[in-house]
Amino acid sequence: MGYAIEVNNVIKKFKRGSGLKKREIVAVNNATFEINEGEIFGLLGPNGAGKTTLVRCIATLLIPDSGTIKIMGKDVLKYPLFCRRQIGLLTSGERTLYWKLSAKDNLKFFAALYGLDKKETEKRIDYLMELLGLKEVQNERVEKYSSGMKQKVSLARALIHDPKVLLLDEPTLGLDPQFARFLRDFIKNVLNRQERKTILLTTHYMDEADELCSRIAFINQGRIVDCKTPEEYKRDLPHSEVLEIKTTLITNAKELEENLSKIPTIEKVNITTQNTITHFKIILPRAEQVLSDVISEVQKYAKILAIDVNEPTLEDVFIYITGRRLTEDTKEELELE
Amino acid sequence: MNQSLRNLLKEWFAKAKHYLRAIWLENLKEWKIELTYKPDFIRGLIDPLVYALPYLLYGIALVGGRTSENLNRLVGTNDLITFVTLGYIFVGFLNMALWAMGFALRKEQHWGTLEAVFAAPVPRWVFALGMALHSTLHQGLMIFLQIIVINLIFKLTIHPQGILPSLVVIGLMLIALYGFGLMIASLTLILKQGWLVSEALSGIMMIITPIAYPLSVLPVFMQKAALFLPTTYGVMTVRHFLIGEQMGFSLWTSFLRLVILGIFWVGVGMLIFEIIDRRTRRSGTIAHY
Ligand SMILES: Nc1ncnc2c1ncn2[C@@H]1O[C@H](COP(=O)(O)OP(=O)(O)O)[C@@H](O)[C@H]1O
Ligand SMILES: [Mg+2]
Repeated sequence: MGYAIEVNNVIKKFKRGSGLKKREIVAVNNATFEINEGEIFGLLGPNGAGKTTLVRCIATLLIPDSGTIKIMGKDVLKYPLFCRRQIGLLTSGERTLYWKLSAKDNLKFFAALYGLDKKETEKRIDYLMELLGLKEVQNERVEKYSSGMKQKVSLARALIHDPKVLLLDEPTLGLDPQFARFLRDFIKNVLNRQERKTILLTTHYMDEADELCSRIAFINQGRIVDCKTPEEYKRDLPHSEVLEIKTTLITNAKELEENLSKIPTIEKVNITTQNTITHFKIILPRAEQVLSDVISEVQKYAKILAIDVNEPTLEDVFIYITGRRLTEDTKEELELE
Repeated sequence: MNQSLRNLLKEWFAKAKHYLRAIWLENLKEWKIELTYKPDFIRGLIDPLVYALPYLLYGIALVGGRTSENLNRLVGTNDLITFVTLGYIFVGFLNMALWAMGFALRKEQHWGTLEAVFAAPVPRWVFALGMALHSTLHQGLMIFLQIIVINLIFKLTIHPQGILPSLVVIGLMLIALYGFGLMIASLTLILKQGWLVSEALSGIMMIITPIAYPLSVLPVFMQKAALFLPTTYGVMTVRHFLIGEQMGFSLWTSFLRLVILGIFWVGVGMLIFEIIDRRTRRSGTIAHY
């Protein structure tokens, strides 16, 4: 079996601002990976890591500054029409449909763009509406739908031409848990297992990547920092534990982070603050051994609210590799060349 | 017939079918969306009529009747009302290119649907032709209603045998206007205030196209500029066929220039569209508005 998608040394920069404030953002920095036919490949990284930019390059919506991308063996810039036919694109965000039209009319229009004739269109729409449970509402205007239903219609559009490859860019972002659950099961069971579609899924939800993907590329500040199976990632921290602490607000967290890092056996410290509560994640072989040292150090800065020791998750591996959490937004200062 | 040629033909046929259907459904989609705002749609039909009437009444008031000897001396017909009404049709065609087509992409951008459309396996010109088809049908309907109503009020007199050749002329002129529309449609994608381009161009074109007056009343430099606009040939030739306007150039010249302008403006439109499409895909500005 060949590769469904090949991404080779892709660089994409954006210019921001104007005049003196003009600067360049490297949104994708020399990305290289291959996706096998039939696999669900995850691109996991925090907001602003460059996931959407990569997807848009693959979908021919952006032209990379350098590097090549191939879909089913063909270069996307040389054979854009062929490549677009192979791809179904689903993005997060609701405003990608014609809200004034019904689901059915939306799908009819896109079916024509994808070259389906009248009969094929009817058949395909019937099938997809049934499959996604939208049959009853298919003639109502999309503006009346909930976000979950809108996302289902967008998914139906991505599937209208029965593409071999699906690009799903944060498909569950902003959906309520029930719809997110449905969508994840659908992606795994129907799209991948039954219909054998190759899927590129981007997300910043660790669980989603862990649950769905056969392989995951970690992306941080435009760089692919690692790429392997979820099991392999977890083996990166074989004998580790994660000590999690919640405290009252800490203002000079940098200093504390440095002090904690000096404690023997501590491998990684990540501190984030959310709504006046500061969260610690400390990766180390055995929490018990240094617990008292850690507590006395932290107590110099704030009041401890909770302490917990856990097995490392995929997110902890991400922190271990990048020093950052998946839920942290990428700060743009860091992205200057 | 050998096998590979047959396959080639088959492929070509399938492609033609695909693109034609895409053009048709783009047109249908626009109608459906338009008809969901019924009051706006109806207003859109009535507005041009309301705007046309002052032109006509002003003319009548100035001249003191619907016939003008001065007009007759200039262009060989004295029927002011028919002259202006026929001219006014071309305002509709200008609006079609500059506003309806010119803002079709911007509209999609605003709705958030442009990326989905551009991710589909059809060349961009197919989508452009769909926009053109819808704007033309839309404008055609408005012009038709306009003529019927004005005819009820003022009783227009035309040579019926001129209708068919007029349609041919309008068809030729539309090709050039599609070029304009395409150019503006792409400019509006990168200019924050794209409507300024439409505003400026429609202002200029409205003045130098001899809509409500003969070409010869314009200052000489404007007359020269008018010779680069397809609407000039459109309006004068149609009036030539329908009410015998003397154009100051031959029919042949008019057709030939319309064809040349058509090729020129479609070429310019496609070129600018292509350049801007590449540019926005490099700079990543298309999703932002
Ligand atoms: N069209 C654009 N123009 C300028 N900057 C952009 C554009 N698209 C994305 N960026 C920037 O590139 C970086 C990566 O963004 P994105 O690919 O959207 O990340 P993600 O999808 O992982 O959240 C961010 O800093 C973002 O602000
Ligand atoms: Mg994104």
